[in-house]
Amino acid sequence: MTPGPIDPHVLMRIRNLEFRARVVVEGFWSGIHRSPYHGFSVEFTEYRQYSPGDDPRYLDWRVFARSDRYYLKRFEDETNLRCHLIADQSRSMTFGSAGYSKAEYAATLAATFAYFLHLQGDAVGLLAFDEQVRAYLPARHRLAHLRRLILALEEPARGRGTDLVTPLLRVVEMVRRRGLILLISDFLAPLEQLERALLQLGACGHDVVLFHVLDPAELAFSFDEPAMFEDIESGRTLLVDPGAVRGEYTKRLEAHCATLREMCHRLGHDYLQLPTSQPIEFALFDFLHARDRPARRIRRSARL
Amino acid sequence: MSFLAPLFLLGALAVALPIVLHLARRTARQRTVFSSLLFLRPAPPRLTRRNRIEHRLLLLLRCLVIGLLAFGFARPFFRQNVSETPPAATPQRVVLLLDASASMRRGSLWTQAQDRADRWLRQISPRDQVAVCAFDRDITPLVTFEQWSALPAGDRAAFARSRLTGIAPGWASTALDHALIRAAEWLAGLDEQPAPGLRRRIVLISDLQAGSRLNGLQGYEWPREIDLSIEALDPPATSNASLQLAPEPADAPATPGESTVRIRVHNAPDAQREQIEIAWANASGTRIGTNLALYVPAGQSRVVSLPTPPPSAGADRIVLRGDDEEFDNTLYAAPPEPARVTVLYLGKDDPADPSQPRYFLERAFRETRRQTVQVVVPASPGTEARADTASLVVVTDAPDEAQQEAVRTHLARGMTVLFAPPDPAAVSALARLPGLDGLSAEEGRFANYGLWGEIDFRHPLFAPFADPRFSDFTRIHFWKYRRLDASAIAETRALARFDNGDPALLEIPAGRGRVLALASGWRPADSQLALSTKFVPLLYSILESSGAAQPVPVSYVVGDRVRLSRDPARTGAAVTVTRHDRTGTRVAGTADEFADTLVPGHYTTDPVTDPGRFAVNLDPAESRTTLLPADELERLGAPVARPPARAIEVAARAARLRDAEIEGRQKLWRWIIVATLAILGVETWLAGWTMRRDLTPSEALQ
Repeated sequence: MTPGPIDPHVLMRIRNLEFRARVVVEGFWSGIHRSPYHGFSVEFTEYRQYSPGDDPRYLDWRVFARSDRYYLKRFEDETNLRCHLIADQSRSMTFGSAGYSKAEYAATLAATFAYFLHLQGDAVGLLAFDEQVRAYLPARHRLAHLRRLILALEEPARGRGTDLVTPLLRVVEMVRRRGLILLISDFLAPLEQLERALLQLGACGHDVVLFHVLDPAELAFSFDEPAMFEDIESGRTLLVDPGAVRGEYTKRLEAHCATLREMCHRLGHDYLQLPTSQPIEFALFDFLHARDRPARRIRRSARL
Repeated sequence: MSFLAPLFLLGALAVALPIVLHLARRTARQRTVFSSLLFLRPAPPRLTRRNRIEHRLLLLLRCLVIGLLAFGFARPFFRQNVSETPPAATPQRVVLLLDASASMRRGSLWTQAQDRADRWLRQISPRDQVAVCAFDRDITPLVTFEQWSALPAGDRAAFARSRLTGIAPGWASTALDHALIRAAEWLAGLDEQPAPGLRRRIVLISDLQAGSRLNGLQGYEWPREIDLSIEALDPPATSNASLQLAPEPADAPATPGESTVRIRVHNAPDAQREQIEIAWANASGTRIGTNLALYVPAGQSRVVSLPTPPPSAGADRIVLRGDDEEFDNTLYAAPPEPARVTVLYLGKDDPADPSQPRYFLERAFRETRRQTVQVVVPASPGTEARADTASLVVVTDAPDEAQQEAVRTHLARGMTVLFAPPDPAAVSALARLPGLDGLSAEEGRFANYGLWGEIDFRHPLFAPFADPRFSDFTRIHFWKYRRLDASAIAETRALARFDNGDPALLEIPAGRGRVLALASGWRPADSQLALSTKFVPLLYSILESSGAAQPVPVSYVVGDRVRLSRDPARTGAAVTVTRHDRTGTRVAGTADEFADTLVPGHYTTDPVTDPGRFAVNLDPAESRTTLLPADELERLGAPVARPPARAIEVAARAARLRDAEIEGRQKLWRWIIVATLAILGVETWLAGWTMRRDLTPSEALQ
């Protein structure tokens, strides 16, 4: 019997984050053989026709022997992926209605990606932020580095605010080589400045994927009793009758998500919304599926 | 059950408050931590949910408390069967005053007034006593209380009506104050103490025109328990302009050949028409000469000079055209006759000699519009008769026997003698007269010249000079004087003294008359008096104080008494006064006043008296036909009774007072407050019990 995706409730009971990531990735590998999509890889190999001025060292003589045409072949080292995980550790991520918080879910997701990429031989780095950058680990492909990274992910979320722009600009400053940026956050902050930061990331050649982690209670606003609602970050309170505002809340949240999705679509980034009730394998699967789309390309805009 | 303040029952609507609070229970007690309030807005709990009312008993108690409070504040009481039989119509004593002044001639006012009086007389009960009076300038009783009481009850109203139909509005002005005071005093004077239950009223039926005289009401203290009911008529809304003779300036010289009459044209404040025409007319009403067109804005007056047509044209009145009311559009204008004053001069000097006093005396009295002064001497032929009626006797020389007799005669008539002796001998001659024998004089001389140093400005003679602008006599220098001594004559007053203390002007009483003795006359040899600006006013002042030169009224108004001065030769003879429409009135020989000026017009006397012809016109106040301000009578203290609409208010107020009294006796609100407090106690206990029951064990421990 083939195992199905693991229920997040069950998964979150595993205390060890590394183990959790491993469980997910191994389950994913076993499931992936059933998948109709064979040969997925984040590796990107490219043959390019020779043009005068190219270094002749990279000519593929075998292809030349077969087809009598000059093609350039990239080195293996060049195609290795450098991935940076950018994890939101603000206090809004500590909200959770299903027995675990968004922060735990996001950490598991990040660890899963780190482990998965590590297995593929790619370098993984981490940048944790709330209203400022809390931790930064450069992308490396070492087992000890993976451990440190998972340790940093286990740090509790303490931030009193969410500043989405500053960490991205720090990434632009620090990560010079093109790579993959995975931004995991609940994006519960104004989006006005985010587009500019994402644009800069794209302009630097980074491949950006946004994971929008949301609690089911946030999505459906499934409260019944009128209550004094307290903002987990600012402490501001508001007397709210959920029945009265539910419709408007969901409408405004959907508009927020739609704005984010539209922004990503415009900039050529990937956007995935992840309710914390959804198995993490699905996130991984969707991610890889999105990476494999033929139409996908990085747009580089001159609007900088 | 009734309520004293039923509006407080609206307070029961406040029961909505506890109901709302019970629906909105405990909303604020829960706190929910949420990731972000970014997409939330304040939404206080709505209360549309069903079946969410908890603690129904508590709610019921709280609603009951509010309801009871509202009920208590509304001051409930049980209406008792108070005997509310309407009071029997109290007997009343009424003076019905009917305005019959000239302004009642307008439109249908008189018919209205009679209808109103008729209607009012129909409401009279047999127990009432009524007197009916018509009034204009005077009050005329038509039916007295005695006549009323003497008649059978059924005939009284008919009798009063028959008396009312027999009269018509006259031409006199409206003395409303006089009529009201007379009526009030009539009512008050009938009995010292009014019988209990007897109501005393004055019922006034009038057009209440603004020209009604009300001055007498100021400060008048109305007798108690007399009230005034006003039956105001509804005058037609018309334009009215009026004519009035404006007095000529007193010092305007008579210019022969150019004669004008000054007319004041007044337009009523509510007038709609402002183009007025005035013109002369004759007795048949035919206009003579050109019309004078005037623009007189509403509420304003214009004074114009209307050229007098030649006497041959027969014009004797000025008519106005351009307004709606005819009753005051004719002004009878008699040419003003200057008063003829005679001054008897007793002296021997030549009137043409500028060094003698007579020369100056004749030139001082110029002819003016108001008076013509003629200086006569006894010797001149044709002046004997006039010398007898002289208002002033001037003696400037030693009087001979005949002159002394003339002086004595005039003094006996109460006339004034101005005595300016040229020498002490003249004084001695005058001192022979009885009563003046204490008068003596000697020649006095000034070192340089003398001045009038002390003048009694309180005396009527010098009163016109009392103003500091005119009181400077120091520019008149006196060269010679007679030192007069009249100390032996009682009540002699020195009206002026020289700066050396000697009397300059003595007032010596003599019989019924007086002698004004000048120590220094106005001959240039004596003084500069004749050349000074004070000379002419001083002579006129002497002339006026001697009883002559009384200003003749320009025109009389209806109801005025005209004083007729007969020729002394005909004293005691009967005088016939004839109006221009040939209706004559004989005046008794001894009467010197004509009072029958009831109709405007020209009146002539036969035989000729002074005045020989005079005009009687409508009182200008009667032309002010706008309405009196509504509260003018009340402002003047008249006890104006309230109209029926206000009587209903009074009844309602009385009912409210009665209710308040019943409620004050019952005081149900106290029991309601007690019940409210009891319920509040129960509610407090129940609320406490409910709260303790609802607390969780941990909350209870805290």
